[in-house]
Amino acid sequence: MGSVLSIEKLTKTYDNGFAALKGVDLSIRRGEIFALLGPNGAGKTTLIGIVCGLVRLSSGKVVVDGVDIAENYRAARKKIGLVPQELSVNMFESVWESVSFSRGLFGKKADPAHVEKVLRDLSLWDKKDVNIRALSGGMKRRVLIAKALAHEPEILFLDEPTAGVDVELRRDMWEMVRHLRESGVTIILTTHYIEEAEDMADRIGVINRGEIILVEEKHALMRRLGQTRICVTLTEKMDHIPEGLFDRPLSLSPDGASLTFIRMGENDGKDDSLARLLKNLVARGIDFASVTSSQSSLEDIFIDLVGKSR
Amino acid sequence: MNLPAVRAIYFFELARSRRTLFQSIASPVLSTALYFIVFGSAIGSRMQPIDGVTYGAFIVPGLILLTVLTESISNASFGIYLPRFTGTIYEILSAPISAFEVILGFVGAAATKSVILGLIIFFTARLFVSFDLVHPLWALGFLVLISVAFALFGFILGLWADGFEKLQVIPLMVISPLTFLGGTFYSIDMLPPFWRNVALFNPIVYLVDGFRWAFYDIASVRPEISFGMTFAMLSVCVAIVAWAFKTGYRLRS
Ligand SMILES: Nc1ncnc2c1ncn2[C@@H]1O[C@H](COP(=O)(O)OP(=O)(O)OP(=O)(O)O)[C@@H](O)[C@H]1O
Ligand SMILES: [Mg+2]
Repeated sequence: MGSVLSIEKLTKTYDNGFAALKGVDLSIRRGEIFALLGPNGAGKTTLIGIVCGLVRLSSGKVVVDGVDIAENYRAARKKIGLVPQELSVNMFESVWESVSFSRGLFGKKADPAHVEKVLRDLSLWDKKDVNIRALSGGMKRRVLIAKALAHEPEILFLDEPTAGVDVELRRDMWEMVRHLRESGVTIILTTHYIEEAEDMADRIGVINRGEIILVEEKHALMRRLGQTRICVTLTEKMDHIPEGLFDRPLSLSPDGASLTFIRMGENDGKDDSLARLLKNLVARGIDFASVTSSQSSLEDIFIDLVGKSR
Repeated sequence: MNLPAVRAIYFFELARSRRTLFQSIASPVLSTALYFIVFGSAIGSRMQPIDGVTYGAFIVPGLILLTVLTESISNASFGIYLPRFTGTIYEILSAPISAFEVILGFVGAAATKSVILGLIIFFTARLFVSFDLVHPLWALGFLVLISVAFALFGFILGLWADGFEKLQVIPLMVISPLTFLGGTFYSIDMLPPFWRNVALFNPIVYLVDGFRWAFYDIASVRPEISFGMTFAMLSVCVAIVAWAFKTGYRLRS
């Protein structure tokens, strides 16, 4: 798959001297959903701002679908839609006016049918004549998405689209994102809800202090860094682990009531370590009451990664 | 050229004034009517004609400009400041649109509104006094050029301002005094020689004088010079705006 966005050695130093990006290399594949994760102030919005034309880059190169943004910003920007992190909406205009305005701004002929479709997809149709100021925060967020989609972009940036958005709207939104992807749109999103990235993304990038510290296929990442913690609760407490019970590190809880071990990698159903442990327990006549397992989430991996790079 | 974008900005801006149609038209018309009643009819009836033009007629061009200048500035400055303030400017910055096109949209809309307002005041004045219009095309030319120049100035103000107060302070503290001193209500030839020379440093003198020349064919400064000055002001504003966009001044961090 070709890359639809490629960023090379990108740096940004703000006027106050703060280095927000320190040599970022990133390549986004056509048609994927890419989740960019990182703690507050990591540089996510700055990175998106540079690609979209809101922030001037200090050095480096950004190529959008074969077009260098420095050489032909028009061609590059036409392909991009942006839903900004801040809820910036027009003060005096209706939803319809605002969304139609966006379409015109990106050089597209007026197309009421398309605008109507976008508004309907986002359940905004019945609000089309409402003054945006009078909408709730979640509704304003939808308007921003509608504005970003008004010109049929090929690449959509969603900068924390789900901040302050209720469960239902989040579900709708992700539904829509999936639809967009099916229609060939590349989606780059940032979020602080890591379960969302885990659900939605094809690939994950982690940025911290202006540096990309990891870019990986989500499943590969979970396999590589994911862990499953398996805990066997015993019917009778033991005071020490019998010699040769298990070929892996095993730990006994302080009260002696349960045994725990950690299995690395994503759960793929091929690892028989639990079975071996249980057989050994049965062979030694040790009874157990229950077995529980818990998988580490992307969130744990993320916290671990960012913690290490501190 | 991204014409749909220019059109979008232009009509978006005009629509904003349409929503406040009453304030946008009623208040300048009312204040102009007041000037005509007080200066034109009441005081004017006791004044000598100036260069053969009655006082009521003499002040018409200046009064039109008084409104056109303040309205051009306030419309264009508000037009660009508001999206900066609300953050919706992100959309314009991320759009495939050049600085020239952005300016065409914003300044075009503000200037259009001023020209319309100028014409409305022109016809309102007709209700109070009778006056000539010797060079109608030149008058229109001055009106358009001045509207554009001051809309550009307003655009610069809107880029520079970091609060709503600044948007109001400049027209109030700088433009209004200069307009009053710029020969709106008198001919600078009435001033003593020293102050007449000082007045020539006020750029608005040339605008008012040139515009009045188009009405009555009388002038204190040569009309070519007035026209040249108007054009020079326009060029300076264009240069500043071009520089602002090139450097991303107050727009792109
Ligand atoms: N205009 C600016 N001038 C100076 N510093 C800035 C500016 N904008 C952002 N920064 C700084 O750059 C860093 C990166 O900011 P950015 O908004 O890109 O972070 P982020 O990853 O989007 O964070 P968040 O998750 O909070 O949205 C921050 O430390 C921020 O304070
Ligand atoms: Mg951010």
